[in-house]
Amino acid sequence: MIFFILGLSLFGGGLAFVLPKNGMRNGVLVCVALVHLLCMASFWIIPLPDVRGSFLALDQLGLLVLSVVSTLFFVVSIYAVGYFRGEANKSNRMLIGCLLCFLFSMTLVTVSQHLGLFWVAIEATTLASAPLINLQRARQGFEATWKYLMICSVGIALALLGTFFLAISAIGFKTLLLRDLLSHAVSFSVPWLKLSVIFSLVGYGTKMGLAPMHTWLPDAHSEAPSPISALLSGALLNCAFLGILRIGQVCNAAGQGSFFGSMLTLLGLISMGVAAVFISGQSDYKRMLAYSSVEHMGILAVGIGVGGMGLYGSFFHMVNHAFTKGMLFMTAGNLYQYYHTKRSRDVTGVLRTYPWTGGLLTVGFLAITGMPPFGTFLSEIQILSAAVDQRHYGVAFFYLLFLALIFVSMATIVLRMVQGMPRQACAPKKNRESILAVVPPLFLALIVLMLGLYVPPFLDGAFKEASQLLGS
Amino acid sequence: MLLGLDMALAVIVILAICLLGAVRLGSIIRLFVFQSFVMATIPLMLGGEVHIHKLVIVLGTVVLKVIFIPTMLFWAVRHVSIRRYAPGFFGIGANLLLGGFLVGLSFFLSSGIVLTEKPFSDLLIPSAFSTLFIGFLLLISRTKAITQVVGYLVMENGIFLFALLLLETTPLLVELGIFLDIFVGVFIMSIVINRIQNEFDHTDTSRLTAPEGEKG
Repeated sequence: MIFFILGLSLFGGGLAFVLPKNGMRNGVLVCVALVHLLCMASFWIIPLPDVRGSFLALDQLGLLVLSVVSTLFFVVSIYAVGYFRGEANKSNRMLIGCLLCFLFSMTLVTVSQHLGLFWVAIEATTLASAPLINLQRARQGFEATWKYLMICSVGIALALLGTFFLAISAIGFKTLLLRDLLSHAVSFSVPWLKLSVIFSLVGYGTKMGLAPMHTWLPDAHSEAPSPISALLSGALLNCAFLGILRIGQVCNAAGQGSFFGSMLTLLGLISMGVAAVFISGQSDYKRMLAYSSVEHMGILAVGIGVGGMGLYGSFFHMVNHAFTKGMLFMTAGNLYQYYHTKRSRDVTGVLRTYPWTGGLLTVGFLAITGMPPFGTFLSEIQILSAAVDQRHYGVAFFYLLFLALIFVSMATIVLRMVQGMPRQACAPKKNRESILAVVPPLFLALIVLMLGLYVPPFLDGAFKEASQLLGS
Repeated sequence: MLLGLDMALAVIVILAICLLGAVRLGSIIRLFVFQSFVMATIPLMLGGEVHIHKLVIVLGTVVLKVIFIPTMLFWAVRHVSIRRYAPGFFGIGANLLLGGFLVGLSFFLSSGIVLTEKPFSDLLIPSAFSTLFIGFLLLISRTKAITQVVGYLVMENGIFLFALLLLETTPLLVELGIFLDIFVGVFIMSIVINRIQNEFDHTDTSRLTAPEGEKG
């Protein structure tokens, strides 16, 4: 089954490079995304056989990330068909081919049980997504692509070094299979393990967008076409997060959980602080969303770092953030198509001109800043209460402070865009909003709303099981 | 055999320092080729029997880093005059001085962490750290896109030296995956460099920002 889901996306990608027509390629994209989604759903219903010592297997952590990736990819693929319809005269071979290869590499990330293979898959996600950032071949896009390629490749190279150090620290066993690492973790050489944690955190942290290694993220997310930004933010960052979780598993098994936790908490708080500074007065609304991703990756890191209930909160927040941010980037994509600008100052009165998009933008803003009744509210409060429970009062203070700052600055930017009268000069002719541009983000918004009111038992169980995997 | 190994490791570090001093794009790529070639021979000097795994590593490194990647890099800069200088932020003197400092630091660091079993040569870990650090310095101190790629590759060479400690651990499949990733990575970077060259008429990454008026 795992081979099927991997082969499917790779085959689809290959097919997209061969097929002659744009329409056929779009069909392949949506079909592969749908079958991928169904496969993912089947993993929830039929538990996979427990293959000991296998390179490819799906545990609860991997399954959670895979579900987020698969669901988001399906929604985005439908949105992308509508989004790129305006460029029907251009070939979308590169777009669809790379998207499906991207899906393949992300799937491989979630099922890798060998840390070396995991590294290969993470690097493959960078390579598959880099061509997607500058599809229009705009001048300013080159800087974003170059930064993304260079910073992520170098960061990931450090993670490879960290992975090797981990193997060196495994005295006598010299293995990189996760199961073996976990069972032998007690006898690890501590200095090498700590060195490995530092390098891996820097490496995978770069890819995840943790400050101060986040510098590629705002450029890449704001220059990429919106469906791509949604995938980068909602799916790719979580894959890198999985890398940090794997290292955390080994650390906890080796009894070095507190070292890992304190490093991660520090990185998380720095990320939230940096995001708070850069969101205030941000003039580009896509950059604002990108910095908000840095903030939320920081929240995930803090949740894992403080431990306890924070683990549950982090996994819950990962799901919430992926869907909310995916929805917001799609809404931003609609705005860009209507107004042809990324400057938030030039966009006013969205609610009057485009009621659906304006409404979605407001809902998305409330959800991303953690207002009730959305799921993000619950998960953020769980992480906060975990920090208080574990007596990290300083962490809790800064966490709240940064959240409040970000709420205020985002409110200033977004509410000004949504309300007011549309400017005559900038407002284009009122045309009907297409269904493909509204339904995908609306669907994601409903999921996030539902998660705030009711967490299905299977998901609740999965979060608990995942927290147990990570707990020491 | 051991003397040969030590010599090879020393040559790798010396070549890395030479890279710091080199300013012409052509000579930078050639120095990198030479370094990679020396590095490819190291697995053969480690002693022990020569099995298929080792041979694949040696051949893979030669094909990838001595033949493919340099060809691609030369292709990427074919518009640029080879004589064009690529000086860094700090100037050559400061760069070399920093390089020397980094080599010293690597020896200091490696004396601090104890390896659980004795490595093949005492020089292996310090030279791996040195190559890694110098690659990083090359990466951050130069502004030309091509020197940044070479800096990244020199870093990768340093990591390769660490990987020699784990020759028996990493499965061949994963090893090949790593090779493939580096190959595709440099391939995409070359294409981007080529596009940048066409678009901007230079490859200075510190001047990639489009003028204010053109921003969309």
